[in-house]
Amino acid sequence: MVCQSLSKRFGRAVALDALELVVEPGEGVALLGPNGAGKSTLLRLIAGLARPSAGHLAVDGTPAHQREARARVGYIGHATLLYGELTARENLVFAGKLHGVPDPGARADELLAEEELAPVAGDRVQSLSRGMSQRLAIARGLIHDPPLVLLDEPFSGLDRAAARRLTDRLQRLRAGGRTVVLVTHELSRAAELSTASLVLSRGRVVHTGRSEDAAGMEHAYLAAVEGRA
Amino acid sequence: MREGVALCLKDLLIEWRSRDRVVSTLLFALLVVLVFHFALPGGATARTQENAPGLLWVAYILAALFGLGRAFSLELDNDAIAGLALAPVERGWIFLGKAAANLVILALAQAVTALAFALVFELDVFAVAGRLAGLVLLGSLGLCAIGTFFSAVAVRTRFREVMLPLLMLPLLVPVLSGAVRATTSLFETGSVPFDAVQLLIVTDAIYLIGSFLLFDFVVDE
Repeated sequence: MVCQSLSKRFGRAVALDALELVVEPGEGVALLGPNGAGKSTLLRLIAGLARPSAGHLAVDGTPAHQREARARVGYIGHATLLYGELTARENLVFAGKLHGVPDPGARADELLAEEELAPVAGDRVQSLSRGMSQRLAIARGLIHDPPLVLLDEPFSGLDRAAARRLTDRLQRLRAGGRTVVLVTHELSRAAELSTASLVLSRGRVVHTGRSEDAAGMEHAYLAAVEGRA
Repeated sequence: MREGVALCLKDLLIEWRSRDRVVSTLLFALLVVLVFHFALPGGATARTQENAPGLLWVAYILAALFGLGRAFSLELDNDAIAGLALAPVERGWIFLGKAAANLVILALAQAVTALAFALVFELDVFAVAGRLAGLVLLGSLGLCAIGTFFSAVAVRTRFREVMLPLLMLPLLVPVLSGAVRATTSLFETGSVPFDAVQLLIVTDAIYLIGSFLLFDFVVDE
């Protein structure tokens, strides 16, 4: 995934400013930064949900907003993208059909089993707990087995057990060779789940480094949050 | 195309479970019929029967505005609209799936409204039922095409309830013109003028093709 001079403006507000980024296949990248730094905007641009105002953004050489690129991306956002009136299984089958999965029913059952949601497969989403909905949202994002997985603060609202289970799930994704881009405010999780970290502030990259360098990442993150970056 | 069918069936399944839009659209349409009934004194006179086709379409348009305004509301919950936009398909199929579901929901409300009109204005709708259904379908195609498109445009704006009629009503002039002329002629003479049908077909085609092609930009943030 390549971003070159990537900018995004909403009216006069600059969300991303001439961002440069290359993520290699199989890499895990943590995006850090204060609220309004442009992390979610960057993720939505990569997912093809929005178009850049300037610059170039490509997934496997294809502009991110084109459908060939969208087919390679799994997006798990702030919201679950689920329909409350549909059951857990119906949501996954529908998502599978949208993504052209050959046997969406079988794939839905497989993911429900993986996420330990099989017992609630027939329950409507509006009756599920926050943790269950989040796991279902992750299953939805992985329905088409995408090589690039984007996660926007997936730990928010989860209790400790659910967060641990999600961490294990993401580690399995990484071990399976998927590229993972993760937006989080939790530095320990960033270090645990990524190989590289990127700190954004006011739409600009203020720090890039390896995730093993926890001190450098923390210093840059705190500087950005406190407005010193 | 399969994605459009899946979306249409998903919308209809949600509607079947909630009965939210079909009931509210129908109640709104019946309320309009009731208002016309009281606003036109003298009951089913020859004059009111002459005006009935126009009034029927006014009821249809108002009910459609009410129902279509909510077409994309369910996609706002949990940001489900992003889930649609993420699909690696021509986004025009998403538009067509939505428009088809809207057409089915509107058609249910229209069928009951036509019966209410027949009752209130003593119109013999059963004698022309087949041709009337065809005309209503033609008119509703254009109505749902442009309504679904602008419902998607308006849903992310701050004044979405005001935006939809503002955007939609000027473009409904050819639909209304063709549909009212054809329906009036159907009730008066039992036949449908070809030029009115032609206008409806051309308008439907333009609105469907235009919306299909432009929907990609509507879904983008």
